[in-house]
Amino acid sequence: MNATRILSLAYQSGPLLFGIAFLAPLVAQVLEANQLPAPFGLSTIQFGLAVGVGGGLVAKLRGTWI
Amino acid sequence: MSAAATPQTQLDTPSPRALQREEREIAQRYLGRVPWEMVAWGLGNFVLWLSLWPLTLSGAIPLWAGFLLATFCVTVSYLPSHEAQHSIIGAEGSKLRWLNELVGHVSTIPLVFPYRIAWITHRQHHAHANDPERDPDYDNKGDNWWRSAWNGAQARQPGVRNGYKRVLESIDDPGLERAFVESMILDLTYYAVLTTCAWTGHAIEAALLWWLPRHIGMTYIQLFLSWAPHHPMQEKGRYRDTRAWRSPVGTLLSMGMEYHLVHHLYPKIPLCQTGAAYRAMKPVLEKQGIRNDGL
Repeated sequence: MNATRILSLAYQSGPLLFGIAFLAPLVAQVLEANQLPAPFGLSTIQFGLAVGVGGGLVAKLRGTWI
Repeated sequence: MSAAATPQTQLDTPSPRALQREEREIAQRYLGRVPWEMVAWGLGNFVLWLSLWPLTLSGAIPLWAGFLLATFCVTVSYLPSHEAQHSIIGAEGSKLRWLNELVGHVSTIPLVFPYRIAWITHRQHHAHANDPERDPDYDNKGDNWWRSAWNGAQARQPGVRNGYKRVLESIDDPGLERAFVESMILDLTYYAVLTTCAWTGHAIEAALLWWLPRHIGMTYIQLFLSWAPHHPMQEKGRYRDTRAWRSPVGTLLSMGMEYHLVHHLYPKIPLCQTGAAYRAMKPVLEKQGIRNDGL
């Protein structure tokens, strides 16, 4: 697989990657900064990943975050 | 019709061509100066924005202040690049060309808006302002500012084939391939920085120094540079596709766009001269039938 193909795949899955790479730790760190526990007994990063992956998937399927 | 039979008022009215000549002579007075203030603005603003990272991460300034300053920096980052897009700082082949290109590339890094893509699409905006298919900025159309802000935000979404994508797909510009490569490098750098910050415990700082300021800045720029000067985006033509208008927030906060009409007529007049040029040209422009909404 060449670099162009990898980049093309990365662009196609942009929202999902963004959800995992940025939103997940952001959600986790916002909870920690405000000393809020994650719901359902999850750790903050587990919850962040759930939000990031879930949101990213929905955004990917709908083509929009908003 | 003989001169004797021509009504006096018709004889007194200069032809559109004569008016345009007069208009051009006035414009000449405002052309040719190197806008050093835009060079300082573009490069200085980039350095200021960059310095916010160590200042905020080290705790030298509070995060809220970093966020406000970053939002300011990102919002004002576009205009110096815009001067460079029109080669106002240094024309092709001139000895200041390198500076023109440096300002063009560097100033919009905080906005993650690649210079060459900006220039290629901006040329299309000038050529086809208010054309639903060919004006890349047409997505910002809205009945009022909040509608425009919402429409603009929707057009920036990842799966949307917005005006920029449509235009880039439809034109055959020799600089397009290079522009795409540069665009990809800038995009990848942006996401790599966000990701690295996020997974090293600085997601909130990254969000408040770049991610959120970028969205706020982009919205502000679209409102004041695209929506307001062209609203309601219905007419076309040299004197009708943009307007002179009185901004409710003043010239500075609207980034000089009250005189956007002058920019469309003479794109090489530096931003800081458009107000003076407008005032000098106003009587001639009014005879040409410009849209003047209170200026």
